[in-house]
Amino acid sequence: MKLSCLQENLKNALSIVSRAVATRSTLPITQNVLIATDGSRLKLAATNLEIAISCWIGAKVEKEGAITVPARLLTDYTSLLPNEKIDINLTKNTLHLKCARSETSINGLDAADFPPIPEVTDGINTKIEREALRDGINQVSFAAATEESRPVLTGVQLEFDGDKLILAAADGFRLAVHYTSVLTPVSAKTAIIVPAKALVELSRFLSDQDESVEIIVNQQKSQALFRLKNVEMVSQLIQGVFPNYSQLIPQKYATRAVVDLTQFLQAIKMASIFARDGSGIVRMEMTPGPEMTAGKMNISARAEEIGENIGEVDALIDGEPAKIAFNAKYVSDVLGVIKQKQVALETTTSSSPGVIRPIGVSNYVHVVMPMFVQW
Amino acid sequence: MSIRLLTPDVVSKIAAGEVVERPASIVKELMENSLDAGATQVTIESQGGGINLIRVADNGSGIPASDLELAFRRHATSKISNSADLEKISTLGFRGEALPSIAAVADIEVITQSTGGITGSYLQLRNSTVVKRERRSRPRGTTITVHQLFRHFPARLKFLKSLTTENSHVANLVSQYALSYPEVKFKLYIDGRQAINTPGNGKLRDVVAEVYGLETAQQMLAVDGAREIPSITGLVSPASLCRSSRGYLSFFVNRRWVRNSTLFRAAEDAYQRLIMTGKHPIVVLDVSLPPQEIDINVHPTKTDVKFRSSQIVYATVAKSIRNRLVSAPLPRVEPIAPQAPPPAMLWTRQGDEAPQPPTFRPEPINMPILRVVGQLASSYILAEDPTGLFLIDQHAAHERILFEKILAQRSQQNVEIQGLLEPINIDLSPKQDEVLKTRGELLNGFGFNIEPFGGRTYLLRAVPAMMKSGDLAEAVRTLLDSIAIDEEPLRREEKIAQSLACHSAVKAGDSLTGEEMRELIRQLEQAAQPKTCPHGRPTMIHLSAQQLEKEFGRIR
Repeated sequence: MKLSCLQENLKNALSIVSRAVATRSTLPITQNVLIATDGSRLKLAATNLEIAISCWIGAKVEKEGAITVPARLLTDYTSLLPNEKIDINLTKNTLHLKCARSETSINGLDAADFPPIPEVTDGINTKIEREALRDGINQVSFAAATEESRPVLTGVQLEFDGDKLILAAADGFRLAVHYTSVLTPVSAKTAIIVPAKALVELSRFLSDQDESVEIIVNQQKSQALFRLKNVEMVSQLIQGVFPNYSQLIPQKYATRAVVDLTQFLQAIKMASIFARDGSGIVRMEMTPGPEMTAGKMNISARAEEIGENIGEVDALIDGEPAKIAFNAKYVSDVLGVIKQKQVALETTTSSSPGVIRPIGVSNYVHVVMPMFVQW
Repeated sequence: MSIRLLTPDVVSKIAAGEVVERPASIVKELMENSLDAGATQVTIESQGGGINLIRVADNGSGIPASDLELAFRRHATSKISNSADLEKISTLGFRGEALPSIAAVADIEVITQSTGGITGSYLQLRNSTVVKRERRSRPRGTTITVHQLFRHFPARLKFLKSLTTENSHVANLVSQYALSYPEVKFKLYIDGRQAINTPGNGKLRDVVAEVYGLETAQQMLAVDGAREIPSITGLVSPASLCRSSRGYLSFFVNRRWVRNSTLFRAAEDAYQRLIMTGKHPIVVLDVSLPPQEIDINVHPTKTDVKFRSSQIVYATVAKSIRNRLVSAPLPRVEPIAPQAPPPAMLWTRQGDEAPQPPTFRPEPINMPILRVVGQLASSYILAEDPTGLFLIDQHAAHERILFEKILAQRSQQNVEIQGLLEPINIDLSPKQDEVLKTRGELLNGFGFNIEPFGGRTYLLRAVPAMMKSGDLAEAVRTLLDSIAIDEEPLRREEKIAQSLACHSAVKAGDSLTGEEMRELIRQLEQAAQPKTCPHGRPTMIHLSAQQLEKEFGRIR
């Protein structure tokens, strides 16, 4: 292998694929990055066997070849090089890099031993706008479970139906559902569960140069490929049945409070300081205003021995006065991903799920189970 | 006092005491008779913990009318006839002691119809004497009803545990026999409620599904060592499925339920290093070997056996299980949960007027103010103060903090509860079911909201806020196991708090950030008993500055 490329391109590509490098692994080669010529381009790839990321950069290829080298070492080294041309030369299993006035050689492992990156071809094939996918991932992925006692809940369900796409995630206490659309309709209704971690990685490297993302799911629904302009990510899919979440979204409410998102979030953050000691309980009291005037929402928290905080925000309240308590983190998590200026909080009783929706769009629903407290 | 022979009455009562220790013993003896009579259906009824009434009905061969009275005489049996038979016992009973022993401590009614008999016969005994005898019709089989157990033995009555405990003993016993005899249909009614109903189709897995739940049954691995000597057959849990009590190890020797230390040891050793210490597997195994090879005449209740070559038995059992475990793939089964109805709209808080439980407040022990240095092996926090180094077990320390917090919240009736978005299904064993039915209120008070969902399935709708993560269904089962034993109410509350704290605390192996460690230490400083965990193990070890200096040879 003999080629040359630009330091900046190599550095960027390494920073993208290194997200898939295994940190601790029983298979040492997965801590390496694969470097291979691919036509007139240079391909870099890494996998931790759950996800695999490949990235292509432009290069002047003189002789074809492939090798794997320790990812961390190459990334650290490349980032210190000046932004100039790098000459790369492979002799046996040693990779020689020459850039400006520094020369290095790195011992590698045979590329043939690198775990093959799965080909995902047949099955469902569609395209989605970059922004649409990014928004969807941001609005649901945080609600996925982080621990493994129910594996399906560590994923985000992607439900394709015609040109519609619904992303949903839940962890047993909250549920986030985002509705969006794809650019090319799918041939058959399909639902897959993608590990939330993989989607978060994907949204990280969705860059401005990608207008759309191609999504391909294999026939067995065991793997999905996300194809960008110069980057591809293959993720293993979680097998199992995602909970039927539509029945968990309350269809009506007794009280609906519309509040300013910034004020609401601020009040929650203030209260949560006092909720730290226990389980993060914040209490909300919604009081309608007299005769067509705005009402208010009180947000409070108290800690035995420390003190308490009561905040008040203006609210347009429809329905009865209501009281409900939530884990502060669950509320601030959802408020943090809504871009609209106002949100609505809908409740039925103080022990049934609360619903948070952005005002002005109807593509997002978040359901949170309350905490049961004495008032 | 001169030595004299005891009267037959006293002798029979002493002997009865060995056989009939508690209501479950009667159920055992009667059930064994039914099985020895070749029954394919056995129905057991227990009322008032088995003290008011025990009824066992079967469709076995029945007792011929002519032999009926004889059956209640001591050492009368149809199962063996000479001492040579003792060497090769193939029936469950053989001593001829069960019926007379029961008759000595309770009132008995029998209706039986034997194969080939013309009509059935009925016999009623009070104080071991026949008070009524007549002809009554009945389909083939025997029904024995035992009333008013220990009525004339107030001392023994006093030593019985609560009704819950006695019921759970009965339920456990019937479960064990159902596991041993999958081809027999067992039904158990406790105070009119159906507790067990096995299909009797000869499939062990179906019985396991009934007793331990469907999810468990699906995961169990079949052991088939029929070609071994002794031959070992049954089901064992994969290493990923374990329980926190030994109560899930069932062994049968020639299909007799036994509690034998050799077998327990063999099974536990087979799982050694595959499952966590303190956890135990689920095992249902039948060991079958020629009758000459065993002595079941160890104790009148026949719950233990002696093996002629216990080393071989040990080795074969351990090897069979181990081989099966090693060959098992590592499955990650995700059962499809049945559709649950939407969450209930109302949640009612129980007992605001309930009396304050008395709380035990020991003298606070002071803890030094510590500075966190770092974490060791993702399990211990290193901290220092001017006197030296402290090694703090993060799990034990967090357990202590949570334990005190749980009890404090409980005593202030201020439990923090988190609702579940979707209820979680919990399958319980008959024993756990009994515990939940009688002590469910207690769990309620700690923040669990558990609703019956038919049979022994329940829906978990809300949990104490601090135990949000992990396998919640498993946590509830562990909790029920931990309070199954009879204890003072206060002790039970502590048991629950202990179990909750243990489930919710950070585990050894969790890496903590500096901030998390500081917070943990800060909370530990505020605990009343910071130096031990709720189980009594130490939370910290101190290595004094002086000791360190000595070790490094700075001082002598």
